[in-house]
Amino acid sequence: MFRTDRAPDLKTVLIASGVVLTLAMGVRHGLGFWLQPISQTHGWTRETFSLAIALQNLLWGAFGPFAGMACDRIGTARVIVLGAFLYAAGLLWMALVSQPTLFVVGSGVLIGAALACTAFGAVSGIVGRSAPPEKRSWAFGISSAAGSFGQFLMMPVEQQLISIAGWQHAFFWLAALLLLLMLPMALRLKEPPPVANVGGQSIGQAIREAFGHRSFILLLSGYFVCGFQVVFIGAHLPSYLTDKGIMNPNVAVLALALIGLFNIFGSYYAGKLGGMLPKRYLLAGIYGLRTVAIGVFLAAPLSPWTVYLFAAAMGLLWLSTVPLTNGIVAGIFGVRYLSMLSGFVFFSHQVGSFLGVWLGGFLFTRQGSYDAVWAITLALGVFAALINLPVREQAIARPATVR
Amino acid sequence: MRRAFLVLLMAGLLAAIFAAYLRPDFVLDLANRIMLCF
Repeated sequence: MFRTDRAPDLKTVLIASGVVLTLAMGVRHGLGFWLQPISQTHGWTRETFSLAIALQNLLWGAFGPFAGMACDRIGTARVIVLGAFLYAAGLLWMALVSQPTLFVVGSGVLIGAALACTAFGAVSGIVGRSAPPEKRSWAFGISSAAGSFGQFLMMPVEQQLISIAGWQHAFFWLAALLLLLMLPMALRLKEPPPVANVGGQSIGQAIREAFGHRSFILLLSGYFVCGFQVVFIGAHLPSYLTDKGIMNPNVAVLALALIGLFNIFGSYYAGKLGGMLPKRYLLAGIYGLRTVAIGVFLAAPLSPWTVYLFAAAMGLLWLSTVPLTNGIVAGIFGVRYLSMLSGFVFFSHQVGSFLGVWLGGFLFTRQGSYDAVWAITLALGVFAALINLPVREQAIARPATVR
Repeated sequence: MRRAFLVLLMAGLLAAIFAAYLRPDFVLDLANRIMLCF
């Protein structure tokens, strides 16, 4: 077991998990750059590649609880080592496989499972276990900011890599980079001594306890909305702008860059504030502010500057829900099964993401406008703001509990 | 002093990455990718 007798240094855990998250989130965020070269080389329609990415996202969510269980049971380090190899294998698969069905299924399974083993859900457990309760929310904020930084950093890096090395070799380089950086970082993630907070609670009991707790269901529902909103906006905003007459691609690209940049600050400060204020009110505030920002954006006359302001505002509110949601889950249920419970919550996020991107396209095709999806996004924002208010953050009472 | 240096370093790094988003070839590549998705 990758377990130590004394608590590992929080700084080491944050740096090591930060590098892992930067790479895991970042590499995946830039995969869309391969759409054009792969489709052209193999003579595929763009649907093949898009389906592979969609499957990756869905399986990332579906594998999340199982990867989390493994992290909580055998240690995060082992799961990240497995995830790094799966990630590298997935990238090599994308580089070498030219049969469409094999490409979609293989890359979907390999990279989906790799993300489940290396991204937020998997890492949240060890971060939560290593941080003292008063610093836990801040530590989750650092982790979320590292993932956000990865998304911001890796897009230009991957685009440049394809330009210099060609699309196939770019996959090889990325696979090597992942193994080179993730493996030594994973080995630094020693688990702290086991916490005696669950009195022999089994995985099944922990799942039943969580799903029987009203606040957990409310958090799942809120996270579903988070996924729906961010992925709908991230995927469909450029198309919406073109539809509304903003044809200059610079505006859409700059908007995505601003979302990425402000997301780093939003994630960090949300975690920091979560250590000082009730997290449920912060979450309600984030969903409420998203609703206001979307409403003002839709009502105001559209110009490049309103797009930039909207992008900056949405960036601040983008992944800021992650440290707060994980913080509440850790606060209620403790940290013993935190990776697994975060995996369940994240699955709900991914289902929302899938619906957001799909419904955006579906309703646009049916109605010729995004009006209906924007209305759903606004309504869901109000719903998420309201349902976070009655969340109870108090630790669940268990016999012989030492948290 | 050390904290100010770290803040400056981070700000410089973020500004450099942001500048990478403004390169014409990047904008064109990303724009093509976005257009291909719809």
